[in-house]
Amino acid sequence: MSDETVSLSEDVARGETILKVSNLKKSYGKLEVLRDIDLDIKKGEVICVLGPSGSGKSTMLRCLNLLESPTGGTIELKGDIVFDGTKPKNLDDLRRETGMVFQSFNLFPNMSAKENVSIAQVRVRGRKKADADKRSIEQLTKVGLAEKVDEYPDRLSGGQQQRVAIARALAMDPEVMLFDEVTSALDPELVKGVLDVMRELADSGMTMICVTHEIGFAKEVADRVIFMDGGYIVEQGPPKDVLDAPREERTKKFLGLVLDH
Amino acid sequence: MGEFFQTYFDFSIMGDNFNAVLEGFWWTIKLSLIGGAFALAWGLILSVIRQLPGKALAPVRWLAIAYIDCLRGIPMLLTLLLIYGGLGTLQSTGTIPEWLGIPEFFGWPSSFWYGVMALTLTYGAYMAEVYRAGIESIPRGQMEAARSLGMSHGQAMRFVIVPQAIRRVIPPLLNDYIALMKDTSLVSVISLAEVVHVGQDVYSTTFNPSALTLGAIMFLIVTLPLARLVDWQIKRQDEKFQRGLA
Ligand SMILES: Nc1ncnc2c1ncn2[C@@H]1O[C@H](COP(=O)(O)OP(=O)(O)OP(=O)(O)O)[C@@H](O)[C@H]1O
Ligand SMILES: [Mg+2]
Repeated sequence: MSDETVSLSEDVARGETILKVSNLKKSYGKLEVLRDIDLDIKKGEVICVLGPSGSGKSTMLRCLNLLESPTGGTIELKGDIVFDGTKPKNLDDLRRETGMVFQSFNLFPNMSAKENVSIAQVRVRGRKKADADKRSIEQLTKVGLAEKVDEYPDRLSGGQQQRVAIARALAMDPEVMLFDEVTSALDPELVKGVLDVMRELADSGMTMICVTHEIGFAKEVADRVIFMDGGYIVEQGPPKDVLDAPREERTKKFLGLVLDH
Repeated sequence: MGEFFQTYFDFSIMGDNFNAVLEGFWWTIKLSLIGGAFALAWGLILSVIRQLPGKALAPVRWLAIAYIDCLRGIPMLLTLLLIYGGLGTLQSTGTIPEWLGIPEFFGWPSSFWYGVMALTLTYGAYMAEVYRAGIESIPRGQMEAARSLGMSHGQAMRFVIVPQAIRRVIPPLLNDYIALMKDTSLVSVISLAEVVHVGQDVYSTTFNPSALTLGAIMFLIVTLPLARLVDWQIKRQDEKFQRGLA
């Protein structure tokens, strides 16, 4: 394992491992997108993933909940194998324990905000419709959308849609939340509202893996920052190390480019 | 101008034969309703077979694709003549049962049912493609969002993908339906007394095509509103697109 000694905050360091990724590989034909990824994700940990376009960040995230099938390596969820190197196991458990939020929101356009949040609670969790709706309204209120529960996605701003998407994932009571550049498609003035929701979620103790270009957010919220390039994890550690005093040339170069803007 | 009008719009011929033409058109309607319903269902079955997942089912998928491509590549008139020319013979040699060889359900002539078969086989193939295009037009992110919430492939199809696809397939299905309706006229060649056949009979005794004109008018009374309906549906969806939906 290439685990560097990472000085996480005490409670996180002692916490149980939720996801354990070993030697994860993914190729599309001849193109190797993930070469050899090792990663331990502890309960309550907030990880921000940075890296240039095409470095495999999305692919890694999508492998974690097996939306994409890895070509090698193993994934364990709380000690149980969910991917054994060739095929998924306990896929239902994994999907139940992981929530995902996408850059393009992916709300269901034919359902209201509330229905978007309720549908999987009813069909997957087996909750009664009334209970699910109650939970949906609570969750939508938490992300600041109490007035929009009956609106359809086409009547919501991008920022509001993204908050519905976050509420939809949270209503399933996941153990880990995966965020893939969730503010990249938003107008600048809408970014803050979504980041505020994520910050609050991090403070509440949720385990989170966020692919992001928001360096400020990573500095403030992350317990650990991971820098990826060419399908490898090049450097990882607390934000003050990786972001303020990077050791690797590639990290320096990337941060230089990002911060120049 | 007068000559033209006399030739195509001879009101006395139209009046004398109105009931016969209308009766023929009634067969046209029955053919398109029953053939259309079967084609809709058969097309759906074919498109589902075509999209079955997994390596083991590849040969079945391949068969469905071959069927769809072939039936779309043959004129329906040929399919109709192949059915008409073969089923009776196969029945008489005992290869297939009588209900299939000489079908006369509800006391309607076997030429009617041969027509239903040809319409189903041919338009089922067209409609299968429409269903498939509808499902494929739903952005990939919809399936991914549903799967990431823990839904199975089947649940995601049923609760997320298909309800959205249905709206999109209605206009192209209506288009195919209009085409199907017009193609019912081909069944006249195997002596079903539908509207074209009746018009042609009148022509051969009067040497005037006005009864055919009458048949054309009856077609338009049904197909023109359908064409408007398709346009209206498409426009409504475009507006939704412009509002940024779906
Ligand atoms: N389905 C696919 N088929 C083939 N190649 C793919 C597929 N998905 C991703 N790739 C390739 O894998 C590489 C990594 O893609 P990935 O989306 O993981 O990058 P990323 O780090 O998320 O980039 P970005 O910052 O642009 O989102 C890219 O070269 C991409 O072209
Ligand atoms: Mg990406």
